[in-house]
Amino acid sequence: MKGLMNYFPGDTFLHRMDPRSKILFSLLICIACFVTNDLYVLLGVFVLDLLIGVFGGIFKQALKLLKGLLKIAVFLFILQALVVCTGEPAFYIGKLAITWDGLKTALLGVLRLIDITLPLALMISLTRMSDLSNAMVSRWHVPYKYAFAVTSAIRFIPVFTTDLNGIMEAQTARGVEFDTRNFFKKVGLIVPLCVPLLISSVKKIETAAMAVELRGFNLRTKDSSSKVAKFRLPDYLLLLLGLGLIVLTVLL
Amino acid sequence: MIQMKEFSFQYASGKRPALKDIDLEIRPGDFVGVIGNSGAGKTTLTYAINGIIPHYYPGDFYGSVLVDGMDTVETKPEQLAGKVGSVFQDVDAQMVASYVEDELLFGLENFGVPKDEIEGRLQEALQRTGISDLRYREIESLSGGQKQKVAVAAIIALRPDVIVLDEPTGELDPESSEQIFRLLKSLNETYGTTIVVVEQKVGLLCGYAKRLVLLDQGRIVMEGPVREVLKSADRMEEIGIHVPRVVSLYKELVRKDLFHGAAPIHTAEAEKMMQEVLS
Repeated sequence: MKGLMNYFPGDTFLHRMDPRSKILFSLLICIACFVTNDLYVLLGVFVLDLLIGVFGGIFKQALKLLKGLLKIAVFLFILQALVVCTGEPAFYIGKLAITWDGLKTALLGVLRLIDITLPLALMISLTRMSDLSNAMVSRWHVPYKYAFAVTSAIRFIPVFTTDLNGIMEAQTARGVEFDTRNFFKKVGLIVPLCVPLLISSVKKIETAAMAVELRGFNLRTKDSSSKVAKFRLPDYLLLLLGLGLIVLTVLL
Repeated sequence: MIQMKEFSFQYASGKRPALKDIDLEIRPGDFVGVIGNSGAGKTTLTYAINGIIPHYYPGDFYGSVLVDGMDTVETKPEQLAGKVGSVFQDVDAQMVASYVEDELLFGLENFGVPKDEIEGRLQEALQRTGISDLRYREIESLSGGQKQKVAVAAIIALRPDVIVLDEPTGELDPESSEQIFRLLKSLNETYGTTIVVVEQKVGLLCGYAKRLVLLDQGRIVMEGPVREVLKSADRMEEIGIHVPRVVSLYKELVRKDLFHGAAPIHTAEAEKMMQEVLS
């Protein structure tokens, strides 16, 4: 999870934009990628994705994400290339023909996968979770309870990780070998820890519920947020770019 | 400020009353330390003040608890929250946001503080707790003491008359613990905020609190100004409370007929006492 949903602080124009336009733009890119079958458009979107990384100052993160996607991409490429067998054969593996059509479909599939994953992941890295939830509640009228549940879940990940590490250290001190090289043995050792972790989590959640209630959780309405998200010129331009991309793919 | 009259409470899941026949009055501007063994009812006492009892935990409630004239049974916890701010034992669990600024905004926004006042209140709370430089930090990256200060800041931003804290120094090192108590003392002295704090470290508490409440098995055993309560140090030891070391030292000196002055409550006074004894 670490790195995927993390916020990377900064002060670029992408950071300052309305969270809604960032999310919408990502969705528009997704749609465009599904509509088109044009290799050049998909390559163009790929460059656009990398540009988001550059302008957001998180190019390194973008490359890391790409690296993470590589395994799935290779798997998808081989699968597609093997399955599609229409058109001219490019080369043979034994008796199996790998066709040009197959290679093209595979390449499109892989690019599409990367093109739709990157924008949303990058945009979320450029947006504070609280800003996103505030914008969704105040502008899109998402019930605050749901928004709060999602942001809390994300906030509690490091808290529970600390708890789990604490339990594991306590067990290690009593001689449990978590540093074993055997993967299955390791899983077998970690799974039973879920019980104490669950118990401590439930206790924490109870305190959390009382604490938020005493700080006026139930009084909150959609207008409570003091930071109001607002569309400005860059937001409109970004959305225009997204829409333009869809129009382009339809025309092609 | 807070009046408890013949107050008893038994949790619905409990076998015996968690608190029994509590008569307690806490006046505005008080700084009350609550001590007692685990299971003595300290946390329950804080729950009774902030309205978690009976609103969050059901049970048998006898007598009355008034906070600034409002009956806690008839008042909703969030209404009471305008008067009483609560800091819970588990500092991680009570945080709602990932950033210090958002943590403070949460309460301010919920209680509908006018938007043009929010910035001022936020800065004031950060400044009073001495953490203005932490405003844009991620809470996860803070130390235990800093987190505790954020928790207190989030509460005082709401400007409550009373702050109730349950073992705020439970997981802190001695220096951070002192810092938290210095902060509480300054809030109490400078702004007149009433403080009720549950604390295991009696020695630390005695240096800052004005009054002590000693609980044992759900009853108030002793209650009064710190010096008065410390006079019955023997009784405290009987119950199993660690009396401050300066008090043990004092008792030993009195027993050996070496010192005849008043009991010290912190190290500075103990130093004076020793100088007197040695000279």
